[in-house]
Amino acid sequence: MPMPFVLAATLLTCGAGIVLSLVLDDSRIPALLGCLGAIASLLLLVLSGASLFTGTSFHETLWTIPQLGALTLSLDRLSALFLFISGLVLLPASVFASGNLFRYLGKYSLRTYCILYFALFATLVLIPISADALSFLMLWESMSILIYLLVNYEHEEKEHTRAGYIMLAIGEAGTIAVALAFITLARNGSLEFAAMKAAGIGLGEEARWSVFLLAFFGFGVKAGLVPVNFWLPQAYTSAPGSFVPVLAGATLNLGIYGIVRVNGYLLPALTPGPGLVALIIGSVTAILGILYATTQSDLKTLLAHSSIENAGIITAALGAGFVFVALKHYPLAAIAFAAALYQMLNHSIYKTLLFCATGTVDSHTGTRNIDRLGGLIKVMPLTAGFFLVGALSIAALPPFNGFDSEWLTLQTMLQSAELASTGIKIVFAICGAILALTAALSVTCFVKAFAMSFLGMSRSEAAAQAERAPRVATVPMGFLALLCFLLGIAPTYVIPILDGPIAPIAQAARAADALVPPFFAGNPHHNELPAAFVADFHAIGAQVGQSVMPARGLIVMHRGGAANPVVFAMSTFYTAVVLALMLLGTYVVFRLIISSSRAVDRRVVWDGGIRRLLPEMTYTGTGFSNPVRVIFEAVFRPTMVEDTSETVGKHFRAAIRRTRGENHVLDRLILDPISDAALQAANGFARMHHGFLNAYAVYGLAALLVALLVARFA
Amino acid sequence: MTNWVIKGLRTGVKSTRYPRAEETAAGCSPGLPAATRLPSDLAEMIVARCPTGALERSLEGVDVDLRRCVHCFRCTRGSNCTVDWSGGYDWAGFATERTGAFGPPFGRSLHILVVDTGDCGACLSEVKQLNNPYYNMHRLGFFLTPTPRHADVLLVVGALTEQMRLPLRKAYDAMPTPKRVVAAGACALSGGVFGRSFICSGGVGEFLPVDVEVPGNPPPPLAILHGLMVVAGRKPPASLYRRVENSSADEPR
Ligand code: SF4
Repeated sequence: MPMPFVLAATLLTCGAGIVLSLVLDDSRIPALLGCLGAIASLLLLVLSGASLFTGTSFHETLWTIPQLGALTLSLDRLSALFLFISGLVLLPASVFASGNLFRYLGKYSLRTYCILYFALFATLVLIPISADALSFLMLWESMSILIYLLVNYEHEEKEHTRAGYIMLAIGEAGTIAVALAFITLARNGSLEFAAMKAAGIGLGEEARWSVFLLAFFGFGVKAGLVPVNFWLPQAYTSAPGSFVPVLAGATLNLGIYGIVRVNGYLLPALTPGPGLVALIIGSVTAILGILYATTQSDLKTLLAHSSIENAGIITAALGAGFVFVALKHYPLAAIAFAAALYQMLNHSIYKTLLFCATGTVDSHTGTRNIDRLGGLIKVMPLTAGFFLVGALSIAALPPFNGFDSEWLTLQTMLQSAELASTGIKIVFAICGAILALTAALSVTCFVKAFAMSFLGMSRSEAAAQAERAPRVATVPMGFLALLCFLLGIAPTYVIPILDGPIAPIAQAARAADALVPPFFAGNPHHNELPAAFVADFHAIGAQVGQSVMPARGLIVMHRGGAANPVVFAMSTFYTAVVLALMLLGTYVVFRLIISSSRAVDRRVVWDGGIRRLLPEMTYTGTGFSNPVRVIFEAVFRPTMVEDTSETVGKHFRAAIRRTRGENHVLDRLILDPISDAALQAANGFARMHHGFLNAYAVYGLAALLVALLVARFA
Repeated sequence: MTNWVIKGLRTGVKSTRYPRAEETAAGCSPGLPAATRLPSDLAEMIVARCPTGALERSLEGVDVDLRRCVHCFRCTRGSNCTVDWSGGYDWAGFATERTGAFGPPFGRSLHILVVDTGDCGACLSEVKQLNNPYYNMHRLGFFLTPTPRHADVLLVVGALTEQMRLPLRKAYDAMPTPKRVVAAGACALSGGVFGRSFICSGGVGEFLPVDVEVPGNPPPPLAILHGLMVVAGRKPPASLYRRVENSSADEPR
């Protein structure tokens, strides 16, 4: 079937969803959303998969608007990758939503939700394949508005409305910045991307910088980059549990898409400067994101901050890629871009999983506060298991997928040893250290998120009596968990696929050539490897499985050049095999030798000998993350206000109540000064309005005089 | 830099030589009453002087139940008639009908959880001495642990009060098998001066299966060490009930 037809079918399914939701009763809506959402996602996967795996593409001009140019759609491999990830996220997210939506039944209009959802679905499909600035901006704008409406879906809560407004405002600012970038690029009058790319070649250095900064920070709003991400945690927290997976898994990627499309593809940087900016901003975003994630006690907010962290890692890797491209180290650039896109793919999968699990916990216990949860593994074992998979993935532990991409990202940073300039090397080293710290903190963060909510004792009635998650929630989570595992053990299959999208931005260099040596004898490139090299790795089993698996090999490996003669290598596949064998072996040994002769005696847990262990006495999430809060107090700058204190006599304090406030570092340093200044200026102007008619006449006269003087002398 | 290395080397080893050799330092043990051959009227009198009923009349004199003796010295001072007094410190013995000592795998690495079930501080203070450089129980492979999950031996000191029954039971339950219980001090063995009263059950043995008992009030560190050696199976146990030996050769059988 030709691709435009598949595209049309996808959009028609979305349309059908909108039309049917107008007709159907509210109680039927969730099923409709689940079914049609899944069908549309499958069609989307077919469409993008065909392009991503086989390289077919299409380019259609829809119609031409006078003075503004043609509206065109074009699907290349870069778009296909983003569409494919969206499909992978939307498929489980739609099914999940169909189960999760019932909690709004009778309270909010499900019809509205469904219409907005499918409209957003359509824009998500169209944005990556729109090939001119006009349609791109129109779609981008409608996406912003639709997201605003969906985030503000539970509009009776004041906080949600506020979060929505902030998001809308900053989103508009981002769109304007992006529009300005496009206008700067459209020098020869055409708004089509192809023409812009051609026009970009002759652009001067100032114009390049301005396009880079405008597009980078404009798209950075959606991606969640410092300093324009203050909307993100609030919006994610306010968004309905069924929608937030889409927000984190699909729309965040579009911000990255914009940066890759404009800064990587349309106008690749010629100097390392822009890349370094992206690298630094990415690293700062990552560390701030994980710091705030670690100290959150609301699961959803925690995950939102962790999305910021992941966006930061992706951007840092992209920035490294830009630097390598500018300095003409194309294979290294391919590695960096592979790391970035791989990380993005992984983030979409595991974050969707985690948000689905959190949504399930929320709807089954009524709270997302980690300090009120606990012990959920006993009442909802499957959800707990899937959350654990997600947490292991995001904490970058093998054999799950987060490990592959974070490992690649850190290795990319180390590859800067190949560069000539010491200054750039220092920036890379510092950013690499920050990213390593981020990775370590993310382990802390997700140990807390999992252990404090799923293990131990239930800290509230609701958590103790939660029911098992229904199949409509566990099946999507299972699907995502499986993807986490598969993407984790098969990097050697994923990287060659990522090469398609990478090729145009890395000057046709291929990450697969740099990263996956063709160890398997069946591979046509096998003979390119030096025989001694193969023999070296033969001894440690690099060729185990070569006759059964269709790949270049199962080892990810890069051999540094003359300036950096080191080999880095890993194989999550073999790691997984060894891990499984070790676990199995331990189990067998235990069963056969040890436990056959001994009975297990189960007694109550050791609680220090107290009369009754109360949930209040156990470790809380806040307590767990407090060391991080203390160590990084310079960043958090908590404020502590003593509200009341009851005293007995004069000195003995019976009770102290305190309110702890925390102003996000970005609010403190950037947002608050701006809003204070704006308020002060507004107050200054307000003083002119004191209501005397004479004064207003004087203003008018003065304005007239000024205008006349200007007209005379200018 | 301080010259602590040189100082340490110059000082040499100051730890007790027990259990390789006898410890002979003055005051290392208060001693214990010994079973004494006495005429029956004197025996009657002495038995009456003992506040805890540790002394018992037998045919030929006075027997001593070491588990009850609280070292009040009433049977050896303040009167012209006294029982014999024995020195030494190898006092620990097996409680009746208990599991017995550990086998070889535990001999050189024993982790001990100390539970104070109502101690006046005396026994605990003696237990504390075991960790100091003089008694240095680490050299023998004995280690204190704060959690029952790691413990092989539960060392109980103090009269078992009502409030400490539950914690003691929980600690015992939380220990992995194989496990042993050592009770140290007269209070833990028999209730000591509290005996069986409204506040005290009259010995840990009535509540938990005690394996090794260390008499003394408090038992000196070496006696506790002996108790640990006994439970580890590295020293033979002593008898806890001293009888007058029926050995007078001149008497016809
Ligand atoms: S020293 Fe012991 S045996 Fe002698 S009277 Fe006191 S408690 Fe009884």
